[in-house]
Amino acid sequence: MKRSIKKKKSLWGRIKQYRIAYYFIAPTALAMLFLHLSPILQGIYMSFLKLNQLTLRQYLMAPFIWFNNYYDVLINPNSPIRIGIFEAVRNTAIYTVIVTIGTLAVGMIVALMLNRKFFGRPIVRTLFLFPWIVPTYVTGLLWGIMWLKQGGLVNVLLVDWLHLLSAKPSWLSGPNTIWAIIIPTIWRFWPLSMLMLLAGLQTIPDELYEAADIDGAGPWTKFWMITWPMLRPVWFILVLFGLIYNTYSFNIVIMMFGFGAGFPGEWGDLMMTNIFRNSFQLWNFGTGAAASVLLLIVMIILVNIWFKYFKQVEEMR
Amino acid sequence: MPYYAKKRIIDIIISVIMLIFLAITLLPVGWMVFSSLKSSTDIAIGRVGLSRSLEGKVEVHWDNYVDMWKNVNFGLYLKNSIIICGTTMLLAMVFSTLAAYALSRFRFPGSDLFSNAILATQMIPAIMYLIPIYIMFVKFTLMSGIPVKGTYWGITLIYSAFFIPFSIWILRGFFASIPNELEESARIDGCSAIQVFWYIALPLAIPGIIATGIYIFLTAWDELMFAWVLTNADTMTIPVGIRLFVGNYQNRFDLMMAAAVVATLPVVVLFFLLQRHIVRGLTAGAVKG
Repeated sequence: MKRSIKKKKSLWGRIKQYRIAYYFIAPTALAMLFLHLSPILQGIYMSFLKLNQLTLRQYLMAPFIWFNNYYDVLINPNSPIRIGIFEAVRNTAIYTVIVTIGTLAVGMIVALMLNRKFFGRPIVRTLFLFPWIVPTYVTGLLWGIMWLKQGGLVNVLLVDWLHLLSAKPSWLSGPNTIWAIIIPTIWRFWPLSMLMLLAGLQTIPDELYEAADIDGAGPWTKFWMITWPMLRPVWFILVLFGLIYNTYSFNIVIMMFGFGAGFPGEWGDLMMTNIFRNSFQLWNFGTGAAASVLLLIVMIILVNIWFKYFKQVEEMR
Repeated sequence: MPYYAKKRIIDIIISVIMLIFLAITLLPVGWMVFSSLKSSTDIAIGRVGLSRSLEGKVEVHWDNYVDMWKNVNFGLYLKNSIIICGTTMLLAMVFSTLAAYALSRFRFPGSDLFSNAILATQMIPAIMYLIPIYIMFVKFTLMSGIPVKGTYWGITLIYSAFFIPFSIWILRGFFASIPNELEESARIDGCSAIQVFWYIALPLAIPGIIATGIYIFLTAWDELMFAWVLTNADTMTIPVGIRLFVGNYQNRFDLMMAAAVVATLPVVVLFFLLQRHIVRGLTAGAVKG
């Protein structure tokens, strides 16, 4: 009797039943309404306005110019905002792909090395986490000094001590710059991947490997047939958030070049630094907002593709 | 060669590779500390080692730290960063624990919408929020007379709101990894939902909550863009202070590195005090999905 009543509960009845859940999420929901949803709607509206230092006082009352900002960002060859935007998009794509794969790969290798029994394992694991606690702005500053042509650690190591190169390359100008921003980012973020993957490795039952040993599988086969598929939930999350955070990377680049005031060069500029410069140095807030909206759309598409791909992999099992 | 001997040799080789890798990983941090003890001329001319005085003694410039502290007003920035990040951590821990618990235990109408909204907030570039929030702050002050921009609570509010969604994401996974049976039997014994949460779920979730708290603290400690726009000279945090300093002293790399070391030290201490919880708390959710 009671059960049948429960099943027929109306929406209102179910809301009353879970009253407690609504109390628990209320503060967060309020914060998200006022500090996420409201600003994002204003941001999208801003992308249709002629908003610069003259009209900023009017803010949302600034002249409505429809898709002109988008035209300036995407098509108009004469708009100042388009200077360097192609390079920024290219660099962001290269940077995101290499950093995401790089953090995953380095994290995976170290996690496999740590997933054995040996003396002092907890200490080694903790020491490996060290780069992850160094703040990103410090990472940018520190590597900015390590890449210096004279007396920078990288050139000292490569040229003076190991003699791998004959002349000292300059890392902070020209095409080398892209590596000068990729490597510090991988250095800063791989420990987190390692931690997650190591936790995943420890949940894989030994029987699977023993069965593979009996079948005569080598280490390479075992990795791709057992380890990698079993770690699926871990690398799904790591790639998802890697994609998002690396595309929106800002601190490391802004601190490394000219220390916040300078231009990172055509191989060091990323989307975020580009938009930031356009918004706060050229005072083109409207076009900045339009570029952000376009970036957001691309991000939503990419995240959806990644979810779809993951679902397909899940179903193939 | 017998099987176990071969295995042992492979083990040693892997250990050696691992230690080399560890050295490479820690080298930049060592370089940071080392550079902070050099003289500014040594860095400028690109000398690798420490210079020697006329009597042949190695000069270690501890005075860089004193100089930096005097030049940068570092004490104020440190105090501001600790107040802002600490308050943010506490606020975000409380509210994200509540929301994560509700999401992992109840399938209430709207729970899917709420969890999708949480993921959606992560996809929005922070720069889109910057101007609207700045102007909201200014307008609020114009209307109510209460100052927001440049106060501790203004920036704390923004940080809390921004770090709560990701904290919920971590904590929800942690709650999902705690078996539900204990809570169910407590319900049958007549505990109210609040009692179950307070006496049973919460104590079990402490490692996850601590790990999330540290994650929030590290992220807040690291935040540059919003602090830049929303703080003033009295409430400036360390990254903004360092950025200003770097702009004024372009080639004093020694002082810069001293500042970098001091900015890193508090989070290092915090991390090593609580590292056991971090490893358990951050990874429990990731593995269980």
